[in-house]
Amino acid sequence: MNPSFKLILALVISLEITFTNHLGGNLIIIAAALTYLIIKRVAWKKLCRLLLITLIPAAALFMTIGYFSPERDLFFAWVLVSRLYCYVSVGAAVTLTTNKLSLIRSLEQNCHLPSKFAYGFLAALNLIPRIKQNVITIRVAGQMRGVTLHWWSPTLYFKAILSAIAWSDQLAQAMETHGFKEGAPRSAAQVIEVDKRDWLTMLLILLIIQIVIIALP
Amino acid sequence: MANDIIDVQQLSFAYDHHEVLKALTTSFPAGSVALLTGPSGCGKSTLLRLIAGLLPKYGGHLTNGRINFPAGKPTIGMLFQDPLMQFALDTPRHELEFVLENERVPHEQIAARVTAALHFCKITDLADRQLTTLSGGQQQRVALAVTIARQAKVLLLDEPFASIDEESRHFLIGQLQQLVVNQGITILIADHDCHGYQKLHPLVYQFQAGTVARQSAATSAQLLAAADERAKQPLRAARPAASAPTVFQLTAVRIKRGERQLLSLPQLALFRDKITLVTGANGSGKSTFFQALAKLIPYQGQIDFAGHDIQQIKNRRYRADLGLVFQHADDQFINVTVAEELALSKRNGRHPYFQTSLPAALELLGLTGLDERVVYSLSGGQRKKLQLLLMLMMGQPVLLLDEPFAGLDRQSLQNVYQLIKTAQAAKPQTMLIISHQLAAIDQLIDFHLHLSGHQLRYEEDYHES
Repeated sequence: MNPSFKLILALVISLEITFTNHLGGNLIIIAAALTYLIIKRVAWKKLCRLLLITLIPAAALFMTIGYFSPERDLFFAWVLVSRLYCYVSVGAAVTLTTNKLSLIRSLEQNCHLPSKFAYGFLAALNLIPRIKQNVITIRVAGQMRGVTLHWWSPTLYFKAILSAIAWSDQLAQAMETHGFKEGAPRSAAQVIEVDKRDWLTMLLILLIIQIVIIALP
Repeated sequence: MANDIIDVQQLSFAYDHHEVLKALTTSFPAGSVALLTGPSGCGKSTLLRLIAGLLPKYGGHLTNGRINFPAGKPTIGMLFQDPLMQFALDTPRHELEFVLENERVPHEQIAARVTAALHFCKITDLADRQLTTLSGGQQQRVALAVTIARQAKVLLLDEPFASIDEESRHFLIGQLQQLVVNQGITILIADHDCHGYQKLHPLVYQFQAGTVARQSAATSAQLLAAADERAKQPLRAARPAASAPTVFQLTAVRIKRGERQLLSLPQLALFRDKITLVTGANGSGKSTFFQALAKLIPYQGQIDFAGHDIQQIKNRRYRADLGLVFQHADDQFINVTVAEELALSKRNGRHPYFQTSLPAALELLGLTGLDERVVYSLSGGQRKKLQLLLMLMMGQPVLLLDEPFAGLDRQSLQNVYQLIKTAQAAKPQTMLIISHQLAAIDQLIDFHLHLSGHQLRYEEDYHES
């Protein structure tokens, strides 16, 4: 399915379940999303880790609403837990099955997102591993100069922000020397098309969701 | 002249209130190669960035003059000194596609042009690797591939070989030659080190305090020949005696990068209070070796420091004994201004020489009077020198230096060597130095470790080419 459509669909579903309290509907959505992930052969380990990590906020939410709120509403507690798992599984169904470059290209070509945002965002994502490495480097640099930088030390953040600013400037220069011009038309290495099937799939899924959420008891 | 592609008239340019170019007038004939040379901070990089249109957009002020393109503005490609910071995407293939999309190359032609550019730079097998995992030399090849794909008519290279081994340098210069001969491309190279350029027959543009003098073809040839002669000197080092006191003892150490075996060191001793040079091709694992010694990456086997397994030593204590001079100067800085950085090293440092003779050291490195400057606003060469000084002042028993001389001109290099020797005489330290800059380095070093085929061996007589 077209990556942008996938993203839009996930957003619509998430928005819709935010304003409904339909336990059965939520469970069906979770089951569908997980089935999709399994069909797409997403690694079991990744999936299990995601579901387990979600368990912590889910349990906290359940205890608070179910046992410590004035109403002690167990049904509403289950709704909230299922809603949380809905967000996670639907989100995973998009992010774990879509290549980020394809998504950016699709947003640029199909949704006409300005290329400045699309590629700026992508470049920033590609910087994340460097930022992690940078924080380690800063702490080591400190230790070697007799300064211990704890995670709450302002110097650590000052340096990290400074690096980020320097990188963003260098990145802008790099993109410019590689021929990128803000707002100028570009061609496409990989043409991402929206065909009838994408529309049909999206509308069909939306229809089913409406039936599940509204029509089911 | 009629066939000039770039014509610079009375150009003056300043950062803050520091004038870098002073009424500079010169021109570059189409299809020629120009080698811009001069000490660090002389303005050669600034001129390239002005031509590329990055300045004054990204800093500084154009106070006078202009740059003309008599035949219309050509497509300009640029290679930067720091290879990694010139890519926006994750792999060489994606970067090339991005570039061709920017040039509005029709969809059907993109794949073919990507393939051709990769092929020309001999990086077809690296096309889908993450750029961050490539060595500096490989990244520069990708950067060159980008300019090929864009069909740039003018190529600007800003110290492109500063931290690249001889083999990559030879290869890249050979490819540049093909571009000049076959496609009539104009190339401007800023490099303080003029060796290896003879086959490009460049005209030498000598920079001096913000102005430039274009040398005649004959003078240029002489300058290049002299630089080649200097580079040809064999590198001489002693062979360590078996009984020499050691500081590091490595036993059965293996280091991997991803799935690939990078280093395999059954037995290796590093000698106390001696200066050891570490050389080897790009990506062969020299920096990784340092990272293992500094306890920054996992490895198999055992590394003993002064008789103790380094894994048993607490990080904080270990780093009081071992300093690492990073490849990127900016990584070293903790504070904002030069004065603050110096004060920190003075307060926590234990090197006796700098407690008394810091002003002399600053004078020698040409860093006097920069106290209030923000460290990040210094020139590349000044930052390298300041970084080295800050770490020497700390006076750790062991200092690992990763490319401390990259981008330094000959005079700065001599001064830096002299400072290290003076410091070493006042307080002996064990130093390991990774360097591609080998000119006159034998006056500084005791031993030479060469890395090839996953192994490190001590060498006595070593020829680069």
